[in-house]
Amino acid sequence: MIGQKNMRQLALAMVLYSAGGALATEPDAVTTRKRLLSAASESSNWLHHHGTYNAHHFSTLSEINRFNVGELKVAWTFAIGGTEGGGIHPSAGLEATPLVEDGFMYAIDGWGVVTKLDVREGRGEFVWRMDPGTDKDWAGEVACCGVNNRGVALWDKLVLSHTLDGRLVATAKDSGENVWERQIGAPERGETITVAPLIVKDMAITGVSGGEFGIRGWLEATDLNSGERRWRRYTIAAPDEPGGDTWVDDHEAYKTGGGGTWVTGSYDGELDLIYWGVGNPGPDWDRHYRPGDNLFSNSTIAVDPDTGEIKFHFQYTPNDPFDYDGVNEHVLVDTLYKNQAQKMMLHADRNGFLYALNRVDGSFIYATPYVKRINWTSGIDPVTGRPLDYDPEAKIQNYAGVASARGKLKSDLICPGLMGGKNWMPMAYNPERGMLYIPVNESCNSTTTSPVDDDSKSIPREWFTAGGMHNPERFSGSLVAIDVSQGKMTMRIDTKYPILSGVLATAGDLVFTATPDGDVVAYDAENLKELWRFPTGSGLNAPMITYAVEEKQYIAISVGLGGTMPKWWIEAVPGLENVNPSAMIFTFSL
Amino acid sequence: MIAQQKRLPVRTRIIISLCVVLVSSTIHAEPNARLGKSIYKKANCVGCHKWHGGGGGSYGGLALSLRVTPLSREALILVVRCGRPGTNMPYHVRQIYKGADRECYGSNSASLGDATPPRARYFLRDRDIEAVVDYVRNNIQGRGAPNYGDCVAFWGEEATRCKHMAQSKLNGERKRK
Repeated sequence: MIGQKNMRQLALAMVLYSAGGALATEPDAVTTRKRLLSAASESSNWLHHHGTYNAHHFSTLSEINRFNVGELKVAWTFAIGGTEGGGIHPSAGLEATPLVEDGFMYAIDGWGVVTKLDVREGRGEFVWRMDPGTDKDWAGEVACCGVNNRGVALWDKLVLSHTLDGRLVATAKDSGENVWERQIGAPERGETITVAPLIVKDMAITGVSGGEFGIRGWLEATDLNSGERRWRRYTIAAPDEPGGDTWVDDHEAYKTGGGGTWVTGSYDGELDLIYWGVGNPGPDWDRHYRPGDNLFSNSTIAVDPDTGEIKFHFQYTPNDPFDYDGVNEHVLVDTLYKNQAQKMMLHADRNGFLYALNRVDGSFIYATPYVKRINWTSGIDPVTGRPLDYDPEAKIQNYAGVASARGKLKSDLICPGLMGGKNWMPMAYNPERGMLYIPVNESCNSTTTSPVDDDSKSIPREWFTAGGMHNPERFSGSLVAIDVSQGKMTMRIDTKYPILSGVLATAGDLVFTATPDGDVVAYDAENLKELWRFPTGSGLNAPMITYAVEEKQYIAISVGLGGTMPKWWIEAVPGLENVNPSAMIFTFSL
Repeated sequence: MIAQQKRLPVRTRIIISLCVVLVSSTIHAEPNARLGKSIYKKANCVGCHKWHGGGGGSYGGLALSLRVTPLSREALILVVRCGRPGTNMPYHVRQIYKGADRECYGSNSASLGDATPPRARYFLRDRDIEAVVDYVRNNIQGRGAPNYGDCVAFWGEEATRCKHMAQSKLNGERKRK
């Protein structure tokens, strides 16, 4: 157990810059529970990582619209720094979604350095920088997929942020001084933290990364008044816990069962439920080591915020052979489906299917493919929501027979590949159109299993994947539109690379996204016709936001190369080796 | 009369020549060791083969253990230059599978097809390849399980990982007593 007592030995490397005189007279914004619940009505702000608790990534701002977006230009830029490397990564990535509250922007780099900017005067004016002094090699050695931090959260007068080396840090909005911090993740066990915190009531919810390092995943709630743990919920069930009977081995595989929680969840304030996605079981490619459905890996869990109890769940890919993390976000939508009002949660799973589930009880509504190629199953059962090739009697799932055999034999080509049809990059929902826009990876790979002996255990801080994978084909991408009340894809456009940014939808009938080789792009929400493009000259691996100052609308994005593909699989994404890291904020306006 | 220069005895001249070679190779060895370790990190050898060279699984694939491999210096240079067909070990010399001279295992991409190794993210110069191979041979190859000394040599004495390793060993010894 790691508590607040386990504070860092070294003093925090914190640099405090005093604000200019004019700024110091402005009152501090207070992020109340009410504001967070009604964030959609504050169209000039972006108060949550996902924009709102329902993760629509949609703004009602419409000054920028499909008729004038061709005139969009750079408004201002700001270098936030922080591209140095650590561990196995020669440079840090930039995947963060900035937040904006009442004219102040909060950006964060891969190492967790928070920068506050005053954006009220049509430019980014530096206010303060908070450097939490992340132990770069300690964390960077066990970060599978880059030095990344996906964003901060706001509560009351605090900015909450994580560090890759496993801490939750609370910083005062006005001064940039650390108020408290606590060690939650355990890098000595291969745990790191990249996720943006979710604020629910007076708690920050933290998720963990490390599914490739033999962790046992969890969600943890921290009381924001005291800075102490409120609850921890393990996502991999122990034998005496609900779901424990889905780990039927005799060597305690659950203890290294994976189940990371590294994408920020959603929250329904009326139902008082947190929805969070759980990652792949470990070891990734030796499912024979972990017979059983492996709950709650590859599942959506609905969690009681006050106790952390899992009220219900839905599992997408049981006894996973493919590394199809179930972590992707949940877009909460109230809509009609087959003439019935439904409280849905939409989840574009790594396994290539978009799922609509009932968020009141977790029951299945529909699933539809959103990628071009799926070969691991012939479809999803329209009643149960299980893969059609799932065998309820079997403890080891072979699905449609493409999974690797045990023992260093290369499998057939598996589609989608392990990056999934969609990875962590968020999709966007336009409630006025009832359309969901998904950033898609079109990729396949084969896998090779190197079995784990039943007697051997995972070594802390060593990879525990039991094998590797091979990319015989290039990856590409697409942007897909789904009519949610029909449950059908209506549009798809192809892109050269997988889309590694998120999607932003606006009431200006626009859909914004970005390419890994540096272009920010605006599409017509009605027909996905490209309307505007700007080359930033660096990688784009972060979702964009929109905000306003005195009714002038801005689009903002963190600009910098990040993610896994250029490091491990350059043969699948040739050309990205020519994209360099950077750490800038770019904003655009008319 | 022009004075005649005395020539040094042959044996002395040989000894002096050998000393010059020894000194100059020592001068070159120091920057090459640093270069080798730097290449090991930047070229992502550390990603797949790990800091200790023991290999295993990762998102790069299943990597060979450089600690136990019996490959000679020449063979290691060849593998870094050309990758290994049918595996994820990439080639590090631009266009090496396109040439007509088939210097890689007598093959080119036409003859290997899908078994052609993937390309590395960054291509390396001959000097870089020799430096990283020498780094592996001098610091990794033929050693047993990675120990505290290996950790310090790679990460530095102040590294949390090495302090953690030392503490774990201490705890293990305390438990055994």
